[in-house]
Amino acid sequence: MSLAADAPAGVGAARPRGMTATGLIVIFLGWELAARALAGAYLLAGPTEVAVYLWQNARLMGRALAETLTNAAAGFVLGNLAAVALAALALIVPRAERAIAALALIVFCLPLVATGPILRVVFGPGAGPQIALAALAVYFTTLVPLLVGLRAAPAAWFDLVASYGRGRGAALVHVRAMSALPYLFAGLQIAAPAAILGAMVGEFTGAERGMGVLAIQAMRALDVEATWALATLAAVTSIAAYAALGALGRALAPEAPPALLAPPPATQAAGRRWGDQAVHMAVVTAAALALWQATPWLLGLNAFFAKGPGDIWAFLVTGAGAAEHRATLGAALGETALYAVPGYLAGLALGAGLAMALVLAPALATVAMPVAVALRSVPIVTTAPLLVLLMGRGAVGTTVIVAVMVFFPTFVACLHGLRQAPGQALDVADSFAAGRLARLVHMQVPAMLPAFFAAARMAVPAAVLAVTVVEWLATGRGLGALMALSASLSDYGTLWSCVVLVAVLSALGYAAVGAAERRVLSVYAAEQLAR
Amino acid sequence: MIRRPMTRRGVLAAGGAALALPALPRLARAQSPVTLQLSWLHSVQFAGSYIAQERGLWADAGLDVSLNPGGPNAPVEPPVISGDALVGISAADYTAAAVEQGAPFKILMVAMQKNPFVIASLPGNPVDAPADLQGKRLGMALANRPVLEALCTLNDVDIDAIEMVPTQYSAAPLLNGEVDCLLCWETDLPVAMAIQGVESRTMLMADFDYSVHSQTYIATEDSIANRRDELVALLRGEVQGWDAYRADTDAAAALTVETFPDLGLDLETQELQAQRQVPLMFSDLTEANGFGWWTDDTVAANVETLALLGRSVTPDLWDRSILEEVHAG
Repeated sequence: MSLAADAPAGVGAARPRGMTATGLIVIFLGWELAARALAGAYLLAGPTEVAVYLWQNARLMGRALAETLTNAAAGFVLGNLAAVALAALALIVPRAERAIAALALIVFCLPLVATGPILRVVFGPGAGPQIALAALAVYFTTLVPLLVGLRAAPAAWFDLVASYGRGRGAALVHVRAMSALPYLFAGLQIAAPAAILGAMVGEFTGAERGMGVLAIQAMRALDVEATWALATLAAVTSIAAYAALGALGRALAPEAPPALLAPPPATQAAGRRWGDQAVHMAVVTAAALALWQATPWLLGLNAFFAKGPGDIWAFLVTGAGAAEHRATLGAALGETALYAVPGYLAGLALGAGLAMALVLAPALATVAMPVAVALRSVPIVTTAPLLVLLMGRGAVGTTVIVAVMVFFPTFVACLHGLRQAPGQALDVADSFAAGRLARLVHMQVPAMLPAFFAAARMAVPAAVLAVTVVEWLATGRGLGALMALSASLSDYGTLWSCVVLVAVLSALGYAAVGAAERRVLSVYAAEQLAR
Repeated sequence: MIRRPMTRRGVLAAGGAALALPALPRLARAQSPVTLQLSWLHSVQFAGSYIAQERGLWADAGLDVSLNPGGPNAPVEPPVISGDALVGISAADYTAAAVEQGAPFKILMVAMQKNPFVIASLPGNPVDAPADLQGKRLGMALANRPVLEALCTLNDVDIDAIEMVPTQYSAAPLLNGEVDCLLCWETDLPVAMAIQGVESRTMLMADFDYSVHSQTYIATEDSIANRRDELVALLRGEVQGWDAYRADTDAAAALTVETFPDLGLDLETQELQAQRQVPLMFSDLTEANGFGWWTDDTVAANVETLALLGRSVTPDLWDRSILEEVHAG
C-alpha cells in the first residue's frame, strides 16, 4: 500500500461505517434538540417533524424537486461548459487571461435584484431565468480553480513535451488537463449546491412550480415543517451531488500530486508593473462598459428599466440631483462595506481553519462535511431568520451570515489544496517520522496556498452578495436594502448605480487579494505566476 | 396589426427558450394572445382571473389569456412597459413612482378599493388605533417607512415613538416576541396565524384615512390607444370573474387549489383569505357602479395620501374610459 493512499489527504474517502453513523446521529440529535428548544418560536422544525412532512407530502415535494433539479442540472452543465470555454480561451490567448477573469467576475457579481427581472423579460414565462441564474451561480467558481489548475504542473513536464518536439496542444492534453482535474472537480463540487440555490432563487422571478416557490409560500404561511422540509431536501440533494462529484474526481485524479518546484519569476521593475496594472484596468473597464452598452441593445430591452452607462453617468455626475444621488449611495456603500469586510475575513479564516483541522483529525469530517454543504445549500432566506434570532440584527448577526456564505467555497478549495502536497515530499516527512502537524505546516499548507488564494478571490463576490441579501432581509440598511427599495419604486437609476458599486467593490476586493496572492505565491508556488 | 414583431430579443429569447425546453402554451386558433402579469405567486388573490379562464369568458371574446405569476423578485412594471404583458396588476403608489420615472402608465381598474395594509398584533398587547403604536416595536420592511410616515401624519402620531424593526415578511417575529406588531396585509400573515390557531388583531390602515388603491390594473398609454378592444375584453372577463368570486368565495378557493396543484396551496387557508378579501374589494361604490369602479372623491383621497408618500400625481393617472365601456356592456 502506498504511503500517499494512507495520508490524511484522503479526507472524504471511504471511512468505516460506524464513524459515519456516529456523525449522522450527532447531527440529527443536535438538530432535534435545537428544534425542541425553539419550539413555539415558529423558526425551526426538527428532523422528526420534517420526516413526517416529507412522508405526507411526498408527491408534491417530488414534483417540486424534479422541477428545480432539472433546472439546476441544466444550469450546472451550461455554466460549467461556459467556464471550461473561458478557461480554454485564456489558454489560447494567455494575454487575455486576466481580462477574461475580471469580466467574468463582474458578470458574476451582478445582483439578482437587477438581473432577475431582466432575465424574466428576456426569456418570458417558463424555466429560462431559473436555468440562467443557476448557470450564473456556478461558472465563476469553476473558472477560477480551473485557471489555477491548468498551471499547476511541474516545469519539467512542459520541457519534456517540448523535447519531444510537441507543441502547446500536446502540453494541454498530457500535462495541463491532468494537473487541472483535481482543481476542476473542486470547482464542480462548489458548484453543485450553488446551482440548486440558483435555480431556487430563479423561481423568485415568477414561476408556477418548484422548491423556491414552495419555500416562499411556506414562509408566509408560517409552515415551519414545510420550510425546513424544503431546506432539508435542498441540503440532502446538494450533499449527494457533492459526494458523487467528489467520488468521481478521486476516481479520475492521478495518484499522488507531483512536486512542482518552479523557479521564481524574474522580477519586473516596479514602474513597469504599475504600468501593466493600469493598462489592464483600462482594458477591463472599457470592455465592461462596451458590454454594458451593448447588452440592452442586443436584447431590445426598454430603457425604462435597462439603464446604460450614459444614463448612470448622468444620474451620478451630470444630471439634476446628482450630488444627492451620490450622497445616498455613498452612505449605503459605507454601511455595506462595514459588514462585508469582517464577515469575509472571518469566513476565510473559518474555511481554511476547518480544512486544516480535518487534516489533523479526519474523524471530524463525518460531522463537518454534511454541515458545511448543508449550510451552503440551504437558502439563506430560510436560515437568515434563525441566525438573526440567535445572533441579533446587529453587526454580529450580519457578520456571521456573511462568514457562512464565504466559508464554504474556501473550505472546499483548501481541502483540495491540502491534497496537492507532493507525494515525494510527504514520503520524506514520513521517513523522518514527522507528525501530522509538522506535515501540515511544512508540506500541506504551502501546497494549499494557490487553492486558498483562488478561494479568497472567489469569496469576494460571495461576501458582497451575502451582505446585500442580509441587508435586504434582516437589517434594512446598506446597498442591499437600497436595491430592493429602488426596484419596487421603479427607481432604476439608483438600482443600476448600486449594481455598478457592487461590481466595483467586488473587482477592487478581488484585485487586492490578487496583489497579496502574487507576493505570497512568488515564494511558494511560482508556477502560478508564469505567463 | 403585427403583435410580436421579430426583434433581436425575440430571436435570442427563442434560442434561450429552445435551450430551456419550456412547456409551450397551447396554440390558439385565431385568438389574440394576451398576457396579464400578476403581482404575486398564484393564489386566491387572483381567483377572479382563474374563474374567467375556467368559464371561457375570455376565449368567447377571442382572447387567449396567459396569467403570468409574479414573485419576490418580479416587479410588474418591466413586462408591461416592454409590451410582454398587456396589463399588469400593481398598486397606486408603485404606479405613481413608475410614472414619476417616465413610465406611460394609467390605472384602468381598481380591484382593492381599500388598501390591504394592516397593523397586526396579538390580543394581549393590541394595536386598535394608530395612537396605540406609540411605544411599540413594529416589525416591517424598512422600504415601507413612507407608509408608516403617512399613517402617522394622517393621524397625528409621533413616528419617533415607534421602534421600527426590520423583519422578513413573516409572522414569526410577532409570535416569538421579537416585535409587538407587524406591518403586513390583511389577507396573508393574519390568515396564516389564524390557520395556525393563533388569534390576532388587525387594524386596517384604510379605516384611518390611508387611501391608496391596491391591486390596480395598469396598461401603457400606447395600449390604451391601440389595443382598446383587447383591453375591454380582458377587463370584462375580470369583472365577470370577480362577480362570480363574490357569489361563492369557497368555490373560488377550491378552483384555485385545483388549478395549481404544484403550489401546495391549503384549501382552508385559501378559503379564509378569499373571505377576508371581500370587504376590501366590494363596497357600496362597486355595488352601485360595478366591480373595479372609482369616483373623483376616491381619487382625490388617493392623491392626498400619495402626496404624503412623496408621490405627486394628478387625477390623470386614472383612466376610466375602458372600465366605462366594460360596464356599459
